[in-house]
Amino acid sequence: MTYPRLVLANLGRNKLRTALTGGAIMLAVMLVCLLLTMPNGLDAIMNRVSSNTRISVHNKAGIVYPIPYSFARKVRQVDGVEAAVATMWFGGAFEEEGKVTFPNFTVEPEHIGAVYPDYNVPAAQLADFQRYRDGAIVGRQTMKRYGWKIGDRITLRSTVFPLSLDLRIVGEMPNEGSPLLWLSREYLDQALKARGFRGLGVVTSIWVKVRDPNRVNQVMRAIDDLSRNSSAETGSETERSFFASFFGSLQGFVKIILIVTGLVTLCIIFIAANTASMAVRERATEIAVLRSMGFSRHAIFTTLFAEALVLSTLAGVLGVALAWALTGALRAFSGWSAALGPLGSFMVTTPVVIQGVSLSLLIGLLAGSVPAYGAARRPVVEVLHEVF
Amino acid sequence: MKSRAVLLPISYSVRNLRTRPARTLMTAGVIALVVAACSLLLALISSLKRTLVTTGEPMNLVVLRKGSGNDGSSMLPMAAFRAIRFWNGIARDGLDRPLISPELVVQPFFRTLDGGRDNVLVRGVEPMALAVHPDVRVVEGRMFTPSSGEAVVGRGVVGRYVGAAFGSELQFGHRRWKVVGIFEAGGSSFESEVWVDVRELANDAKRTWPYSGFRLRAATSTDLGRLQRRIESDPRFALEATAETDYYAKQAESANSLYVLVIGIAVLAGIGAGFGAANTMYAAVQARRAEIGTLRALGFSRVAILTAFQIEALALSAVGFAMGALLAVVGASLVRWALGNITFNAATFTTNMVTLRLSLADLRSAFVIALLIGVAGGFGPAWRAARLRPVEALRHG
Repeated sequence: MTYPRLVLANLGRNKLRTALTGGAIMLAVMLVCLLLTMPNGLDAIMNRVSSNTRISVHNKAGIVYPIPYSFARKVRQVDGVEAAVATMWFGGAFEEEGKVTFPNFTVEPEHIGAVYPDYNVPAAQLADFQRYRDGAIVGRQTMKRYGWKIGDRITLRSTVFPLSLDLRIVGEMPNEGSPLLWLSREYLDQALKARGFRGLGVVTSIWVKVRDPNRVNQVMRAIDDLSRNSSAETGSETERSFFASFFGSLQGFVKIILIVTGLVTLCIIFIAANTASMAVRERATEIAVLRSMGFSRHAIFTTLFAEALVLSTLAGVLGVALAWALTGALRAFSGWSAALGPLGSFMVTTPVVIQGVSLSLLIGLLAGSVPAYGAARRPVVEVLHEVF
Repeated sequence: MKSRAVLLPISYSVRNLRTRPARTLMTAGVIALVVAACSLLLALISSLKRTLVTTGEPMNLVVLRKGSGNDGSSMLPMAAFRAIRFWNGIARDGLDRPLISPELVVQPFFRTLDGGRDNVLVRGVEPMALAVHPDVRVVEGRMFTPSSGEAVVGRGVVGRYVGAAFGSELQFGHRRWKVVGIFEAGGSSFESEVWVDVRELANDAKRTWPYSGFRLRAATSTDLGRLQRRIESDPRFALEATAETDYYAKQAESANSLYVLVIGIAVLAGIGAGFGAANTMYAAVQARRAEIGTLRALGFSRVAILTAFQIEALALSAVGFAMGALLAVVGASLVRWALGNITFNAATFTTNMVTLRLSLADLRSAFVIALLIGVAGGFGPAWRAARLRPVEALRHG
C-alpha cells in the first residue's frame, strides 16, 4: 500500500465522520467566502461605475446644495477639462408606479456624451437627444423592467419640482445593469417658466471629464479656486471618492462582518482539530503497531497530517464552489425580490477563491499538525501496554 | 414488560461529558463560537430595528409630495401648507394653535472627528415641532431661538462630528451654527439629526420651496384617517399622507437585504456547528459501545438510551450556549468601546447612528439556535446508540 492510498483509506474508514467534518468545513469556507465578497463587492461596484478621469464638482456644503448654472461654463474653460455637464436630480416618478423607482437627472444633451463616453450611447441617439427637446436616454435595466423601447412616450411626475413632464425615449444606455434616465435640462427649465415659476438658475452637480489622468488633482484644484469666495464654493472629488462616500458609513458593518468571519474560522478550526484528534485517538493501537513494524515517526506524522490536509482542502474547494454558485443564483434571482436586490451585486472573484482555498489549507495545517505530532511522538511501548 | 420505561438519571449524561473534558470543551467551544457570532448578528438586527422602526408617533401624519417616499427628496409648495394647516381634525395645543410642524430636510456634509465626511440629516423646524414630536426632549441646554443661528443636536450626533457638542460652534451649509441644546428621542433615528430654524435653513440652502413636507397630529384616530384621505385626494396638490409609524417602518425596509444576509449566515454557521456536535456525539457512542450494551443487558430500554444521549447533546449545547453568551456580551461591549456607534445609511442617504445592544431577546434566540444544534447534532448518534444490539455491542466494544 502506498502512502497516498493509506491516507485515502483512512479517510474512508469512518465515512460518516469524514462527511460531517468535511461538511462543516465546506459550510464554513462557503460562509467566509460569501462574507468576503461583501467588501470586495463594494469595491467592484465602485470600480464598475466610476472612471478615474471623471470628477464631480458640487457645493462644498453638501451634494444637495445648489451651485449657479453659469459655473458650468466657467468650468469648461479650465485648462485640462475635456467636457463638463451640469446635472440635477429630477426625482421623477413613473405615473404607473407612483413613486421614484429609478434615478433620473436633468442633463445638458450637448455635453453628456462627451463626459460619459464609457456609457456607450450610440452617437445617432445622442444626436436625437439634442434634436428633441423632450428626449430621454434610459438605461437598459429600466427599459427592460417596463418593457419600453426607443420611440415610446412616457410621463414622469417630479417629486422635487411641481410638474410632470412628457418624455420621448430616444436612446438607450446599453449597460444591462443601468437604471438611469437622462432628460434635458432646458426642457425642464422652459416647462417651469411656462407654469409661472422661476427657471432653473442652479444645478447640484457638474460632472467633468479630464483629458489627462495625471492632471486630475490639478484640474480639481483649479475648479475649486474658481469658486473661492463666491456664494457657492465648490468641492471637487473624483467619481470614485464620490461613490465611496455613499458606502462610507457601511464601514461599521463591514467590521462586524469581519469579526463574525473570524469567529466562524476559529469555529471550523476547532471542528477539524477535534475530528483529527478523534481519529488519532482511535487509531492509537494501529499507529503503535506501525511504529513497531519500523515506520518512522516522520512517516506516521506525514500520513496523519496529510489526512487532515486532504479533507480540509477538498471540503474547502467544495465550499468555494458552492459560494460561487450561490452568488450566481442570487444574481440571477435578484430581480425577483427587492430584499435580494443589493445581494445580487456580490461576486466570488479570483481573490476570494484564493482566500477561500488558502483558508481551508490553513485549517488543515492547524487542525492536523497538533494531533499528528502528538500521535507520532507517543512512545510505542506505552500505547501497546495500554491496549494489551 | 414494564408499564413505564425506566430512564437513566440525568447525572449519567452530564457525568459522561466530564469523562472526556478536552473533547467536550472543544465541541462546546464550537457551539459557543457559533452562538457568539449569531448573537452579535441578532443584536445588530435588533439594534437597527430599534433605531429605525421605533421612530414615530401613531397619531402623527407625515405629509410629503406624492411619490417622494422620504422627506429628504420631497418639496412642498407653500400654498398646500397654508391651506391644510387650518383644516378640522388637527389636534391643538393649550393656546389653540394647530399641532402641525412644517419641516425642511437638507443633507449637508459634516466633518467627522476622524477626518471623514458624512451626510447628516438636518431638519429645519419651528419651535412647534417639539409639541408634534413628543418623544423628542431637549435634555441639555434649551431649544433654539428662531432667527439667531442656533441649533439643537441629537444625542447620536454628539461626539461624532467636529463642533457637535453643547456650547460649540457647528459648521455646515454656508455658515456656523451655535449648539444650544442636545436632545434625546428614546434611541430613535431622530437622535441622528440636527434641528435648526426652518427659515434659516431654507435661506442657507437657497431653497425655492422652503418646506420638504409637514407633520401633523390628528385629534382622534378617526380624524387621522379622514385627514389622510382628504389630503391625498385634494386635486390642488399632489400629496401623500402616511402615518408616522408606517413611514419609519417603510424607511427601515432599506435594511431588509441585511436581514436576509444575517439569517443566512446564522443558518449556515448553525448547520456547520451541528455537524461538529454530531461528530463528537458519534465518537462518544462509539467509545461507549460496551457500556451501552451493558445498560441494555441490564434492562434499560432503547428509549432510555436515546434519551440519555439526547440529553447529553443538549447539555453539551447548553454549556456551549453559556460560553457563547458570555463571549457575545464581551464582544458587544468591545464593539461599542472600540467602534462606538455603528453608522448606517438610511434611504435618505443620511447617516444613522446605531448603538449595538445585545438584548435578552437576542440571547433567547441564540439559545434556541444552540438547542437546535443540540437536537439536530445529538439525535443521529442517540438513535444509533439506541439501536445497537446488546450482544454485538458487548462483543465488539
